[in-house]
Amino acid sequence: MGLFITGILSLDYNSLNVRLRRVTWQNLRLLRRMSNSFPIECLQESKAFELPQEILSHSQSLKRNIKEAFYKMSRQAFHIFTQDTFKPTWEETHLSQVQVGLDHQLRYLEQCLEEEEDGNEDTGEREETLRSSSPPAGNLELRRYFNRIDRFLKDKKRSPCAWEIVRMEIRRCFYFFQKLTALLRRR
Amino acid sequence: MVQSVKRKQGWHLLQCLRKVFSWRASLSWVLEGLGGEANLKPENVEIHIIDDNFFLKWNSSSESVRNVTFSADYQILGTDNWKKLPGCQNTTSTNCNFSSVELKNVFEKIELRIRAEEGNNTSIWYEVEPFVPFLEAQIGPPDVHLEAEDKAIILSISPPGTEDSIMWATDRLNFRYSVVIWKNSSSLEERTETVFPEDKIYKLSPEITYCLKVKAELPLQSRVGYYSPVYCINTTERHNVPSPENIQINADNQVFVLKWDYPYENTTFRAQWLRAFFKKIPGKHSGKWKQILNCENVTTTRCVFPRNAFPSGIYYVRVQASNGNGTSFWSEEKKFYIEMKTVIFPPVISLKSITDDSLHVSVGASEESENTSVNQLYPLIYEVIFWENTSNAERKVLEKRTEFTFLDLKPLTVYCVKARALIENDRRNKSSSFSDTVCEKTKPGDTSKTWLKAGICTALFSIPVVIYVVRLFLRCVNYVFFPSSKPPSSVDEYFSDQPLKNLLLSTSEEQTERCFIIENASIITEIEETNEIDEVHKKYNSQTSQDSGNYSNEDENSGSKISEEFLQQDSV
Repeated sequence: MGLFITGILSLDYNSLNVRLRRVTWQNLRLLRRMSNSFPIECLQESKAFELPQEILSHSQSLKRNIKEAFYKMSRQAFHIFTQDTFKPTWEETHLSQVQVGLDHQLRYLEQCLEEEEDGNEDTGEREETLRSSSPPAGNLELRRYFNRIDRFLKDKKRSPCAWEIVRMEIRRCFYFFQKLTALLRRR
Repeated sequence: MVQSVKRKQGWHLLQCLRKVFSWRASLSWVLEGLGGEANLKPENVEIHIIDDNFFLKWNSSSESVRNVTFSADYQILGTDNWKKLPGCQNTTSTNCNFSSVELKNVFEKIELRIRAEEGNNTSIWYEVEPFVPFLEAQIGPPDVHLEAEDKAIILSISPPGTEDSIMWATDRLNFRYSVVIWKNSSSLEERTETVFPEDKIYKLSPEITYCLKVKAELPLQSRVGYYSPVYCINTTERHNVPSPENIQINADNQVFVLKWDYPYENTTFRAQWLRAFFKKIPGKHSGKWKQILNCENVTTTRCVFPRNAFPSGIYYVRVQASNGNGTSFWSEEKKFYIEMKTVIFPPVISLKSITDDSLHVSVGASEESENTSVNQLYPLIYEVIFWENTSNAERKVLEKRTEFTFLDLKPLTVYCVKARALIENDRRNKSSSFSDTVCEKTKPGDTSKTWLKAGICTALFSIPVVIYVVRLFLRCVNYVFFPSSKPPSSVDEYFSDQPLKNLLLSTSEEQTERCFIIENASIITEIEETNEIDEVHKKYNSQTSQDSGNYSNEDENSGSKISEEFLQQDSV
């Protein structure tokens, strides 16, 4: 049972990056289009989630760190948008498009990380190669950030406003990562 | 100044006293301990966290049972607000469960302290090393629900912790599950598989008791959980309607062809598809499988559906058979990648001979493949086969570039090339068919050819040079052997006034010098009136009479006139 999205195709890293970027921009657009506009009444409920600016530890190469953080963040975003108790006021088609898009993004990121891994083996689960050797504390900032979002949703009992705010936040997150990756690429 | 000194002294005194007292306290405690009296302090305090369950364990420093109770406090690191740890207040046992603590955030560092109490005596606090609950937590056993078919078992695994788990709130989708399954009769034949939360274990035998256990892992954090308890279940008897087998999906231009095997006739089939990522999400997805439109109630073992029904991604497909006797179980779920199912067209090769020992190869895409997504999505590499036309020895090369050269070839020989395109590192070894064979002859000649070329070039360059040199030479020769009789032009100027014959005539006359007296002014003034020109001549003459007489011919005519007049005057 070929279960994991294994690296059957090992892609050229640059073209992978290009595709990743394209998918992320697509997802940003999808997220934007999910609802017509941000409802004004939700503005007062908006909360500062404090996206962690320093999610990068200094142990590994900067590029890999960002990719890893982006991967984890995409995973969280995917998790948020695929929850069963998900009952927002968005259209079903939009939602499924976002899910598919996020899945794409995740797959590309997984492949990216696998490309960077030295001594990449074809056998075995690819996920094992994604084991980050940076201390787990480096991931805590990101986890705390998502914990805040998660708790916000729970506290607001997943009201439509809460979803809108969370959607906005995910967009900001993706945008942040896109810019960060672009900055690294220019170095 | 004095005040500050006093204050300092006071402070020092206070410190001293404090030290004494604490020393006394510890001393008394030691003494008490030595004395065997109570005031025990907890030792070896450990924290165990499994999912959302928090346990505290410690050892009592005394073996004898007394009325000793323990209490614990906690606080978030950094704040100064010790709170009572629920479930660990005044407990007589050496462990407690404080799962009811409402931690808002399991990613923050927590401090714990615990002490022993006996009556009114309390020990000092034992402070536990601050920790992050999330990092200390262990993954507990997942919850498993089983359903049996005849040749498969359907698994429904719930992630560790409850649905409202605060520990794994951000990781629920990240768990990977590992199943160990064996036949109850012989535990030697164990099989370990990695499964999704909603999955099936296939290739089992009917009417056999299978036992399994499941554990959850978080691979990214290198964390492995505890195994669940062992569950056993019997597979059902063989179903009278078998499931389709050997599902295959192939791409054919703009459609996908789904094929399967089935042993019996007179059966209708239907096929369903599911987006692959749904399998990562725990919970029942039975509602998420969708019918493939062209594959509903088909009576053949194949169906065709358009490619654009499925945008890019990964999907699962399953097929079910039904006839008069009933409906089969679903077949094995076949995973397919849309991108993989594209046809790779053979490349187009062109061969050029540049020098006598190399051939340049250009690999291009055929027109049909220009529009497909394969080239855009995945870079191709080319397997190039290269041989001499006359021999059979083939050279196989894998090339990533589309322009490359074969070197060290023999001149004036025909070589042939053919190639096919592959997807790089493709485990399935998917490739196109071979392109047409293209042959080309290498250029002729070895060093003589280059010499010839060089010779021609130099000859071409040297011709104008040679012409120029020859011209110079001829001029020299002409100058030396055939001089021109014409005098140089500068001499001509002087002879232009007097023709040659005057010279000849004038030489017959005698050339005499005339001397003239110029002091007699009266004579001169008389002549002056008549002939001004004569005076000039006179002066001229007197001057020239002192000369050698080269230019005397000019003066002769004028001189003769003046001489006649003087002779006339002298005679008077």
